[in-house]
Parts: sequence; C-alpha cells; structure tokens
Amino acid sequence: MEQTLTDLVLIQNVLNGETAQYALLVKRHQRFVFTLALRFSKNREDAEEIAQDCFVKAYKALGTFKQTAKFSTWLYTITYTTAMTFLRKNRLDTSSIHDESTIIQLENHTSGFNANGYEKQDSYAFLNQAITQLLPDDAAIITLFYKGEQSLEEIGEALHMEPNTIKVKLHRARQRLREKLQYLLKDEVRELL
Amino acid sequence: MNTIEQQLWDYIDGNLDESAKKAIEEKILSDAEIKSQYDELLKLNLSFESMDLDEPSMSFTRNVMESVALVPAPLAMKTKVDKNIIYGISGFFVISLLALFGYVLYHSDLSISSFDLNVNLDFNFDQYITSTTVYSFLFADLVIGLIFLDQFLRKKVAEK
Repeated sequence: MEQTLTDLVLIQNVLNGETAQYALLVKRHQRFVFTLALRFSKNREDAEEIAQDCFVKAYKALGTFKQTAKFSTWLYTITYTTAMTFLRKNRLDTSSIHDESTIIQLENHTSGFNANGYEKQDSYAFLNQAITQLLPDDAAIITLFYKGEQSLEEIGEALHMEPNTIKVKLHRARQRLREKLQYLLKDEVRELL
Repeated sequence: MNTIEQQLWDYIDGNLDESAKKAIEEKILSDAEIKSQYDELLKLNLSFESMDLDEPSMSFTRNVMESVALVPAPLAMKTKVDKNIIYGISGFFVISLLALFGYVLYHSDLSISSFDLNVNLDFNFDQYITSTTVYSFLFADLVIGLIFLDQFLRKKVAEK
C-alpha cells in the first residue's frame, strides 16, 4: 500500500490528522536527505542531526507546502537551508581537495552489486570518497542531478540559484570530481570507471 | 564557456537542440580524439549514475517521529484561515457601506430646485497655500513614494 500512495496523498492524509503517515514520507526520502546533508557536514552524526532537523521543519511547515511543486524539491530546499545554517553555526571547514581529514566514514554504505561486486564496491567507495572532497555546493549539485531526479530548474529552486548557474556549476563539479577520482585512483581510473 | 567537453556533456544530458545535436554527432563520428573523449565522459556519467545513497541509522525514522510528536500537528493553510472569518469580515464591511449609503440617501434632498451656472472664478490661492497644506502635500507624496518603492522592491524580489 505504501508504494501506491503518492507524496501528495500522504501529505493530505497527514494534514487531515493521520500524522502517523508522516513516517512513510520520512522513510521514502530519508536516504536522499541524509546523503545531501552528508555532502555538507562530512560527518555522519552531524548529517543525521541535519536530516532529522530538516524533517521536523518540513512537518511543521507542511501546511504551507504548495502542491504545485514536487515535494522532494521543497524538501531539498529545506535540507539545503538547514545544512547551510548548520555550517554557519559550526563553522565547519568547507574547503575542498586533498584534505585527508575530510574523508568520509563509509561503514554503513549500502550498494547493489553482485557478481563482480568487489571491483564495483571499490569504485563506489572511491567515487564517494571523491565526492566528499568536493566543495559542499558541487557535491550537492552532483547528488541532486544524478540521484535526486531533479531538473536543472528544480535544483536551482532548491539551492536558490538560476538554472544557468546550476548548469555551469554542474559542469565544473563534474570536472573537479573527475580530477579527484584521477588523483585517488591514479592510473586505475580508466579500468574502474 | 562552450568547450567541446561542455558540448559533449550537454549532448549526454540531452540539453541540445536538433541542429546542435547533429553537429556534435558529426564531430564524434569524424574525430577520433573527440570520440575517445565522448566515450570517457559516457563511462564517467554511468559511474555517477550508479553512485549509491547513504543510509542513516536504523532508528532515524523513529527519532524523527518522536520529535514531531512533540510539535502541534500541521494544518492546511485553508484550514488555518477559516472561510467563515473572511465571509464575516466582508459581510460587515458590505453592511456598513450599505447602511452609510442608506443614511446619506435618507437625509439628502434629492430635488433640484434650480441649476445655476454662475461660477465665481475669482480665487485667491494665497489663502490656501499655508505651511500646513504644504506639509500635508509633502507627507502624501512621501507615502505615495514609499508605496511605489515597496512595489518596486517586491517586483525585484519576485523576479529573483
């Protein structure tokens, strides 16, 4: 039944008093919101705090959600704002590249490989490691574009930027990500990708 | 910024129009270096698409639900702003205006006894131009100016 209910139906049910249904919305979006938060905080505990805060804020403001836009876009806007506020408060180091201390913890990493899974796992791990070394904005744009099913316009809406700016930033982020992968993998980059 | 790499990414993302798409396809077919660059970007794109999302802790949903249980349940905006209140306010103003109009009609003399077109054009403007009228005029100008400035700034914000 969970699968058949759209985000909008669930929101309507929550607004009609069935507040327990908010758990279904959380379950549906928690991985993405958490990953996005992780792009900013570089630390699992902080990312979890940001993601949790984001879902509580979304719950409080659910009545103001204009149902003309995608719920995910609205949620990612809240995530972005919450993460930026968190960064400002904690004055976390948002600098990029070659910073060994920013390498992420990957112990809870999940992936769907099977047969030649070991190599795949390696490439996932290297890719995640490379992403964590990007600037938060670059990492967020890459994640939103590839995993968030968001158009350039929607990413622009979530990050408060023009779609053209997002296009340019996406291009640069992909270039930087490739450089990071090349740095991490040296000559193996071609075989692993 | 319209390098060949940017064009190749636009082609991969499907952001090109028909003519630009044909042009880049021709370049890929005719130039071995561009073909090799395209293949590399394609592989990179596939790798980006296959990246996995991270999983929060097992208790994440439960923690969120425990936190939201402490805040008031959300309500739809239309529920918050009860329509009856809007109808009540508008009804009050309509009735007040009608009552005022009726009172004026009741106390006015609607008969036209004579129609005199003898208008006195000999005005003495000096008696009206006092410091109070000048200040009032400037104050009204200031208010109108602020209203226009407010509208202008609102439009700017909306455009952004």
